[in-house]
This record gives sequence, C-alpha cells and structure tokens, in this order.
Amino acid sequence: MDCAVARKQDLPPPGGYRPIPYKRIPAKQYFSGYAMFAGFIGMTTGALYLQYLTYKQIKKHEIEMRSAKMAIYPMLLAERDREYLKQLRRNRDAEAELMKDVPGWEVGTYYGEKVYKLLPNDTLVEPIFHEYYAHTDPKEWYKRAYIKLMS
Amino acid sequence: MSLSPFLRTPMTDLTGGLISHQLMGRCEKQEMRFMDCMEAYGMERGQVKCKALFEEFHECHTLTKQFKRFYALRTERERQISEGKLVGDQKYISPKVDSF
Repeated sequence: MDCAVARKQDLPPPGGYRPIPYKRIPAKQYFSGYAMFAGFIGMTTGALYLQYLTYKQIKKHEIEMRSAKMAIYPMLLAERDREYLKQLRRNRDAEAELMKDVPGWEVGTYYGEKVYKLLPNDTLVEPIFHEYYAHTDPKEWYKRAYIKLMS
Repeated sequence: MSLSPFLRTPMTDLTGGLISHQLMGRCEKQEMRFMDCMEAYGMERGQVKCKALFEEFHECHTLTKQFKRFYALRTERERQISEGKLVGDQKYISPKVDSF
C-alpha cells in the first residue's frame, strides 16, 4: 500500500498551550471623575465669558453700522432726488431734440394736449417708468424694468 | 369709485367705499374733487360740468396719456435710428440705474 510512510500527528507542544490572555487591561486614568466635571465647568465658564465679551463687541459694531447708515441715509436720498431731477431735465432736452420735426408736438404734452389740463403750467408731473426710460438703451431698460414694473 | 349712481343695491351701499383711492391712494385728490362735483351737480349735469375733473381723475387712474407719450417718443426714436439719423452716442440717453 501507499501508506507505508510514517505520519506525524499535530499535537500540542510539550507542556501544553500557553494560557489565553483574556484579562482586561484598563486604559491609564489621567483624571478622576470629579476632576473631569470640574474641568468641564471651568472651561464652560471661561468660554461663556469670552462669548460675552465678543457678543458685546459685535453688538457695538452693529450699532455703529446702523448709526452710520442712518446718518448717510438723508444724503443718499437727496443725491437720488438730485439725479432724478437732473435726468428729468435731460429727458426734456432729449424730447425737444427728438421731436422737433414732428408736427404738432410740444415738449411735455401728447401732440399739444396737456397730460393734466387743470394743473398750472409750472407743476411737476412725475413721469411713469416708461416715460422716464423712454430714451433709454434697451439694455438699461431691462436692468430696471423687472424691478420697477413688478413692484 | 363706486357704481352707485348707475346701479344701487344695499350691497353696493355697503361695499362702495372699499375700492377707492381714498385710503392713502395715489389719486386721492382728483377722485375727491370729481366726486364732490358729481355730488353737487348730479348724474345728468355732472357729466357735462365735471368733464374736466373726470378727465383729470381718469388720467391719474389709468396713466393712459403718459403711456401714449412714451409710445410716441419711443417709436419716433426707433424710426430715427432705423433711418440712420441717430448714430453712436446720440442713439440713446440712459439714466443712472438708481435714480428712479
């Protein structure tokens, strides 16, 4: 038969296997529980104090910004009104230049017909959006039209 | 503006004041003047006597004449541009963006 060779069976080493290390090895403890609570409270207190300081600073900046905005608001408004009136004059001049060959057209009227007949001649009739932008490049028109005509 | 001179029911009496320019509206003055005039002259004579006031109010409410003015200006400008009378910088006069 083929099994004439002597076979060696797997067996434990002499003296038996080493013991299995099942014992728990706990991590090294740097702080006790009380110390950790104390640390938490201490750190939170410090952080809260820092937050209090920063919050005060932020509020101060907000007030500063608001005051500055309120201070310059009348000037911005005045500048806008000034630009508006200047543009009304430019529009008037443009209209005079544009319609000088059109028969029966007078500036500020619709073919000689006043917009408001009972108002005195020197009253300012505020233009609608279309009138104000009548002489405008279409690009500029579209920049403004969606804001002004939808609101 | 109410319907009441033409059509008068308890419902129009109740709701007539709701839709008007009188609650901080744009045409408060014109409407008030027109309605005062109509009240003074009544329906028949008011139509003649208050014609001018009605036209003021109508223009303020609908802004038709101002829009017609815009249309006339715009078509004239487009015509002159297409004819080649206005070229380059003369084509358009644009306002600054935040001025209206």
